[in-house]
Amino acid sequence: MKRLAVLVAIFAGLGLLPLLVGSDFWLNAIMLALFSALIGQAWNIAGGYAGQFSFGHALFFGIGAYAVAVLQVDLGINPWLGMLVGGALGAGAGAALGWLTFRYGLRGSYFALVTLAFAEVFRILANSTPFTGAGEGILIKLNPHPAMLQFKALSGYYWLLLALTFACFLSVWWLERSRLGAQMLAVRDNEDAAAAVGVDAFAVKLKAMALSGLFMGLAGVFYTQRYLYLDPGLAFGPTQSVEALLVAIVGGIGTLFGPLLGAFALHLLGEAAQTALGDVPGANMVIYGTVLVVMVLFLPRGLASLGKAGLGKAGGRRQGLRRRKRRAKDA
Amino acid sequence: MTNAKTGGIGRRRFLAGTAAATGLLAAPGLLRAAPEGIKIGLIHPVTGALSYSGTQCRAGAELAIADINAAGGIKSMGGAPLQAVLGDSQSKPSIGASETARAIEDGAIGIVAGYASSICLATSQEAAKTNTPHIVDVGVADSIMTRGLKNTFRFGPGYGKIARDAVTSLDAINKAAGSPAKTVVIVHEDSAFGTGTAKLLSAELPKYGFKILKVIAHPTPMRDFTNIALQVKAANPDIIIPANYYNEYVLFARTIRQQQIKPKAIYSVLGGAASSYKFVKDFPEAAEGVMDTNHWFNPKSDLALKRKKEAEAKGLYYTYEVYLTYNAVALLADAIERAGSTDHDKVIAALNASTWDKHGMPYGPTKMVDGQNTGAQPVNTQVQGGQIDVIRPAEFAQAQVKFPMA
Repeated sequence: MKRLAVLVAIFAGLGLLPLLVGSDFWLNAIMLALFSALIGQAWNIAGGYAGQFSFGHALFFGIGAYAVAVLQVDLGINPWLGMLVGGALGAGAGAALGWLTFRYGLRGSYFALVTLAFAEVFRILANSTPFTGAGEGILIKLNPHPAMLQFKALSGYYWLLLALTFACFLSVWWLERSRLGAQMLAVRDNEDAAAAVGVDAFAVKLKAMALSGLFMGLAGVFYTQRYLYLDPGLAFGPTQSVEALLVAIVGGIGTLFGPLLGAFALHLLGEAAQTALGDVPGANMVIYGTVLVVMVLFLPRGLASLGKAGLGKAGGRRQGLRRRKRRAKDA
Repeated sequence: MTNAKTGGIGRRRFLAGTAAATGLLAAPGLLRAAPEGIKIGLIHPVTGALSYSGTQCRAGAELAIADINAAGGIKSMGGAPLQAVLGDSQSKPSIGASETARAIEDGAIGIVAGYASSICLATSQEAAKTNTPHIVDVGVADSIMTRGLKNTFRFGPGYGKIARDAVTSLDAINKAAGSPAKTVVIVHEDSAFGTGTAKLLSAELPKYGFKILKVIAHPTPMRDFTNIALQVKAANPDIIIPANYYNEYVLFARTIRQQQIKPKAIYSVLGGAASSYKFVKDFPEAAEGVMDTNHWFNPKSDLALKRKKEAEAKGLYYTYEVYLTYNAVALLADAIERAGSTDHDKVIAALNASTWDKHGMPYGPTKMVDGQNTGAQPVNTQVQGGQIDVIRPAEFAQAQVKFPMA
């Protein structure tokens, strides 16, 4: 419950920011970090907890994004409803991709490559089919009204994103305490051993992919409504896949707070590098990349492991104490 | 007691005198306080996939600011100089929007952005929230100007206009030569610009009797055009129409030459390299004879030629990104000059009423309808003897059309 209290406190604090931050730029910068945290956590469910490393999460993002755009533009369906459909389709796509790949026993790098290929196939399909606007993309009519899931003030978008991100983090918190979460960890650590003790690994992985796809789809819906324009490259291109993976790895995969830490660290680093280096094109990206390499080399378990390392001694001591007590009892 | 070294003036008197003299010298400056700079946000993709074009755009905008400041700044505002607030969209619409918000918060009273159509859509929308005047520098998608954003203006033509002009010009060129060309293959990049252009051409060309044999899309980046060139060779069209970005255009044109494909014309629409000095210089054989319908300066305008010379003296290729962005900044500066204010509404009103003609483009005075300069038009160019010459419309032409290609 302590972790839940921390989670609620963090998001409550973040929720107050639009009232405290007068700058649209900084609010937008925090939004970009929150968005990364959302897609990072969505990836983390499948990649971090269930151990299914995907390189193609843009597939679910793009499906959610196109769902709300097509429903709105072609069929005149309200985007709030479109958001539900986008999330559901994202989840469905996650389950479908899982079903197609896991039934053939694809794991590790093979699974990663197949996800990458699927995202690319959908990019090409979106590029060729008229209902997605093909290469020209889809432009959503500007109608800044909450009923149309568009907001005049940036704070409207901020709170919507915060709610989606909170829902995602809350799901992961629940997952960590649930039977399904424990089964995911068992499958991640040793799928054969998990199956041997009665865990239906196929179903567990499928559920992980569906939950992951759900939040990725919702992130796609948010992106579409925020920028009101979508093309196949934006929706299914590798950018979102890489970003989702990156923030989770930097923050700490398989941890509740890792994607949040990773997202804010990377975005703050980017901003700091840009402020420090001014207008030298690309110099901030060089620093960003260098720090990333250093992090992966020297902190492979992500930023979240820093906290664990600090707690590690105390935790270790507590565990040792418990072990000694148990031994004493047994004796 | 007097000091021999200072000719009898005491230290205190010397310091007091120096301070007074300094004060007197500085007084006119203090009385005429330097006018505050007027900040303009320049948001371009200077990193990422579009970095070459983004860097060219930024260079063009900075040239304009330097020229305007050298000519005395905004005179109606006491000679206030223009100041650039630079932003890098990293070739992503979301970052473009974020950088626009940053520039506006840093005090930019106008935005010039963002090269690619998808980025222009995001930056203009972000600027619209604060009603900040936004000039689209290059983005050609027609949808940028049809959303009803009151703050958004475009100096150059959109691809609807460009594609329609391209077809009528091709028809005129073909008819003048006795209509030797009847079949066409379109090769286009698969994002908004290429797809939109191909769609318009596919709809328009048959109306003029051209038969479209194939429409081939390719992604950006694309590093091998052999398969596409072989498809073109198999179709054996009279005319090949490429619509893609610089690198892909160069590769495609070279592959066509390597595969010994000899159409009657390579007739580009917004061909990324077809009207590029760099392409002509680096690959003269592949470039020779290539025609293009594209943005271009008026070759008979002294102003345009002067600007070209200045840009080249700074080591720049005088590409469309440079002069379109230069003119986007100058158009905004002209509006601020006439408004005599940086008030958003006044600048927007001045832009709507703009009849600016100091652009050196083949346009005539600006005439804004829903933010679009309706006088803007593309021209036809052809590479002839290692030079890029304007061949149409007649009033701007430097050379006769060579069609069919030798």
